[in-house]
Amino acid sequence: MTSKPGLAGGIPERRVRPIWDAVDSRQFKTALKLSAALLAKHPNSPYAIALKALILERTGRLEEALSVCLEAKELLHSSNLNMVQMDDLTLSTLQIVFQRLDRLDLATQCYEHACRKFPNNLELLMGLFNCYVREYSFVKQQQTAIKLYKIVAEERFLLWAICSIQLQVLCSSGGEKLLSLAEALLKKHIASHSLHEPEAVVMYISILEQQARYEDALDILSGNLGSLIGIEVDRLRLQGRLLARACNYTAAAEIYQKVLQARPDDWGSFLNYLGCLLGTDFSWSTSGSSQLCSSDNVDFQGGKSTNLPLEVFDSRIESALSFVQKLQMEVHDGLARCPYLASIEIERQCRLRGKTDAKLLEALLNYFQRFGHLSCFASDLECFSSTLTQTERAEIFGRFIEISESSKHSPLKKLGQAITIFKLDEVFGFLTVLPVEELVETSTKMVDVYCKNLVLSSDLDPQENMHGEELLQMASSALVMLYWRTRCYGYLLEALLVLEFGLNIRKYVWQYKLSLVHLYSYVNALPLAYEWYGTLDTKNILLETVSHHIMPQLFVSPLWSETSALLKDYLKFMDDYLREAADLTFLAYRHRNYSKVIEFVQFKDRLEHSNQYLAARTEYWILQLKQETNTLEEAECILEKLDRGMQLLEVSSDEKLNSLTFNEDLQLRPWWSPSSHVNYLSEPFDGLSACSRENLFKHQACENGNIVRNVIARKSLVPRLIYLSIQSATTSLKETVEPNASEKDANSNEELRFLLEKYARSLGLSFDDAVKLIFEISKGQRSFKDFGTDMVVGCMNFAVFLNAWNLCSNHPLLLHQDGVNLISWNVVENLVNTCIAEQLICARRVLDGPGSNLPSLVQLITEPFTWHALVIKSCLRSMLPLGKKKKKSGLSDHLNLRHLSLVSNSIDCLSNGIQKVHKWLEDQMNGSEDSRLDILLSQVKVMQSETGPGSILRILEECASSSHEELGERIYGALQLWSSADVIRKLVNSQASLLLKFQDICGAKLKMLEVMKRSF
Amino acid sequence: MTTIRRFCCEDLLRFAPVNFDHLTETFNMSFYMSYLARWPDYFHVAEAPGNRIMGYIMGKVEGQGESWHGHVTAVTVACEYRRQQLAKKLMHLLEDISDKIDKAYFVDLFVRASNMPAIKMYEKLGYVVYRRVLRYYSGEEDGLDMRKALSRDVEKKSMIPLKRPITPDELEYD
Repeated sequence: MTSKPGLAGGIPERRVRPIWDAVDSRQFKTALKLSAALLAKHPNSPYAIALKALILERTGRLEEALSVCLEAKELLHSSNLNMVQMDDLTLSTLQIVFQRLDRLDLATQCYEHACRKFPNNLELLMGLFNCYVREYSFVKQQQTAIKLYKIVAEERFLLWAICSIQLQVLCSSGGEKLLSLAEALLKKHIASHSLHEPEAVVMYISILEQQARYEDALDILSGNLGSLIGIEVDRLRLQGRLLARACNYTAAAEIYQKVLQARPDDWGSFLNYLGCLLGTDFSWSTSGSSQLCSSDNVDFQGGKSTNLPLEVFDSRIESALSFVQKLQMEVHDGLARCPYLASIEIERQCRLRGKTDAKLLEALLNYFQRFGHLSCFASDLECFSSTLTQTERAEIFGRFIEISESSKHSPLKKLGQAITIFKLDEVFGFLTVLPVEELVETSTKMVDVYCKNLVLSSDLDPQENMHGEELLQMASSALVMLYWRTRCYGYLLEALLVLEFGLNIRKYVWQYKLSLVHLYSYVNALPLAYEWYGTLDTKNILLETVSHHIMPQLFVSPLWSETSALLKDYLKFMDDYLREAADLTFLAYRHRNYSKVIEFVQFKDRLEHSNQYLAARTEYWILQLKQETNTLEEAECILEKLDRGMQLLEVSSDEKLNSLTFNEDLQLRPWWSPSSHVNYLSEPFDGLSACSRENLFKHQACENGNIVRNVIARKSLVPRLIYLSIQSATTSLKETVEPNASEKDANSNEELRFLLEKYARSLGLSFDDAVKLIFEISKGQRSFKDFGTDMVVGCMNFAVFLNAWNLCSNHPLLLHQDGVNLISWNVVENLVNTCIAEQLICARRVLDGPGSNLPSLVQLITEPFTWHALVIKSCLRSMLPLGKKKKKSGLSDHLNLRHLSLVSNSIDCLSNGIQKVHKWLEDQMNGSEDSRLDILLSQVKVMQSETGPGSILRILEECASSSHEELGERIYGALQLWSSADVIRKLVNSQASLLLKFQDICGAKLKMLEVMKRSF
Repeated sequence: MTTIRRFCCEDLLRFAPVNFDHLTETFNMSFYMSYLARWPDYFHVAEAPGNRIMGYIMGKVEGQGESWHGHVTAVTVACEYRRQQLAKKLMHLLEDISDKIDKAYFVDLFVRASNMPAIKMYEKLGYVVYRRVLRYYSGEEDGLDMRKALSRDVEKKSMIPLKRPITPDELEYD
């Protein structure tokens, strides 16, 4: 990297090397010593200074590192350094340190200065370009790339500029006319130098495509430049897409035919082929420059029916059918499903056009005969199920059963078909309408088939999936349905046991684990859910896509250390990625993969706006506040780190909330909870409408988005509200008024009022309506029962912060008739009493099944009650300053006494409320572990009849006790170890540990309140 | 039913059903993105109807002279789509690119010595155990370096097994 061989920043390399070696081997002390010696010899060398800064930064001496870096920067700017001393090595070393100190701007300034001084230095300009990449300054990137290109007319520099233009168009508000500039630059370059990199061609075509210049793009693709795209199928797909976008459907269909001849199993290309052939009304993905990588298939399944005249339609269908038949004949491996599923799709198109012959059913039967044993059969057909009428579904289902029963396949294939039939039972929506007894029968049969076929897996390696693993998953799901329909807790316990049984035999089945995470969460055994979640080894990007399976439950639980660990992991992952994303983008630039440059920047944007990321940042700090509230100073210290709560207000600005992205993979959630805000089991069973597959995911997109936005908006206000509330409480009782304080206080108070309005809005209320609502509840005119947990907690928070605001500016509703007495204290107290009473009245025993109010109680006590205690503490601190306990007389004393009694009442009220919860928790844990175990076991063992909870457990027990060695050592051994009682015992213990954790929290709060009480 | 196309970043958000597999490692972001930035032709994903991810292969091309070769870093298939020879298709694709586009001499890969199903599969695809790498996996389990010669290595010199095992620090590449 040095400009001159043997020299590093003007210093002989042999003198520098030992320092780098020491840094690399983390010998920082040695490194510092060597660096001091180097500096003694070269006191004015920016490179030597930069090295020192680098070592300081590595040892955590950040401030010193920054000041040393600034010293080097100063030197670079001020003195008349020569080229050798201002080389890229010096600047890049400084850059590394500045970047780690989060001061990219300073690094950029250094490079900018150097480039001004030595404007024709390629290395420096490339370094500057990299700085702008890091800062996502697309315009400056473009300018720098053009400078580079002017110095040497290399293709790569031109493409750097083209990418920078693309980024302006796609990721910022750059005008589309920039595209014609890009095109002109490329054309000029091609005329003199042509293009040599496939990705350069891709970018060129992309520029044309974005301007809707499809014909031009096609010319490029079919010319010499097009041949640079090495993978033939990629080139053809691109060509097909351009032709289709140019509305040249006939030619596009021909191209897709070619793709299918090369790749007969390419379903995406088949859909495109048929779409073009029939002129279906569809829209192509218009994503920028990622033609070679993104899935550019059309949304064909949702496409409207074609408008072709009937005879043209018929002839096109004819030709599609004959093409597909030809493909079927040519493919001999028996594995390519596409040509056969294609027949079904063709018939579906005919159906959409109004033809109602039996060919669709024929095609489906054919598909079943060939592929009915495959694990993916049901999901292949899923999108076709809505085309069939209920009668047809029943008919085809019956025919599948016939085929499967009469088939002479191997036992393995027969098992596969049986599983497919069970799956279709669910896909077609039959399970939801089955009478309870038949549903029990079906789920029993699933488990029975699993047990009877265990022997087929006897020789399998433990790493391999066992045959029939899906059966237990399906049985468990059917048992959950039975619970929903009958409310019989035993079914839910059996649903757990079935999965545990499977994991006992093979511990790697993640589908079982994921279901258990949800089931254990639902039955108040969150620690066990967390344990199973842990075995999924969720890390890196999976934290973004799958932590929704456990994170929302943890947020409202007393498992603080687990929540904190998960949040830390997640935030670290996101922060690390966001920090290094730009360097990875530059890597794509360097390796000339220009389409990846665009893709990387867009992806970074997507993750940066992740709703979970925003939520996690807020929850992380709220958790800190929940945990550290024993003294006011601790809370203030945390708030200080958050810039007094301002930081979170900034991260959840309206602009951010409006550009939220949702990256969670919700497909893997159980049917009964399609998003973390929906749980069908908590609602009455409503049969078809809720659980038919088509309806399942409707909840997700739209509603989820709004709920999430509101929650984030609301929660992000909390730290600032706490801060201002503490201030308000202090101000209202201050004995001496500081000069200029009143204006500051008035501003704070105004801000508090403004944020309260925002808070009310996030609850769907205006400020006045929210005040009215809590006032009415406190008077007993309305009840919390009319609202969900979020609203109850939200109202309580609002009341607490409103009271704090009211201390300084009285609201007419919250002022006693005497005009002096603040009744907002009483409102809070009444609300505390009401919500605790109402929650406890309807709280079920945890042991009796799901639906206890534990999460609501946890939230109430750890959030609004805790914030209220902080307000009280702030009042106490003002009223009873340390060392000022002597008696005073006069007005302030009178005020203090009155407040003291208000405050004292509030402490009593909180204390009583928490005490009641503490007592409730104690009652829950009455009795021995064994007695609790017996209660639960009796739920699954009570029925000895053929149906009802218990029948499946009986099959499992029989399977375990009658197992033979022919099952193989591993399976046999596992079955010997099976004990359903052990599983239930773990469940009971997990529930107890959750309750105990919460009880500890309550205990600590009570102790804290006691201390407060004793302080006056 | 396999649309095989280049892997893109957004696929990272949808590959959980594949990566939950206990033998499939979920790497950090810079790992995936370095591969995408450097060897996009070696990173492919297979999609099923409904755009479900069936599996993917990631790899690279590296080395000098006669050891210029394609390398399979990961190949994995979701359980729903196993036993359909998808891994074979993905491997062929990578071999084809190494052979025809990059003119490499051979393709190699590492596999846990205990992962018999995978070893058998690679053997069926024409790979042989070239050498054993002692304690390659987290300093605990041995890895097998398996190789398959491509058309440029006419005499298949690259896949003549070594007689003795090596240690990870003797490896030529990371």
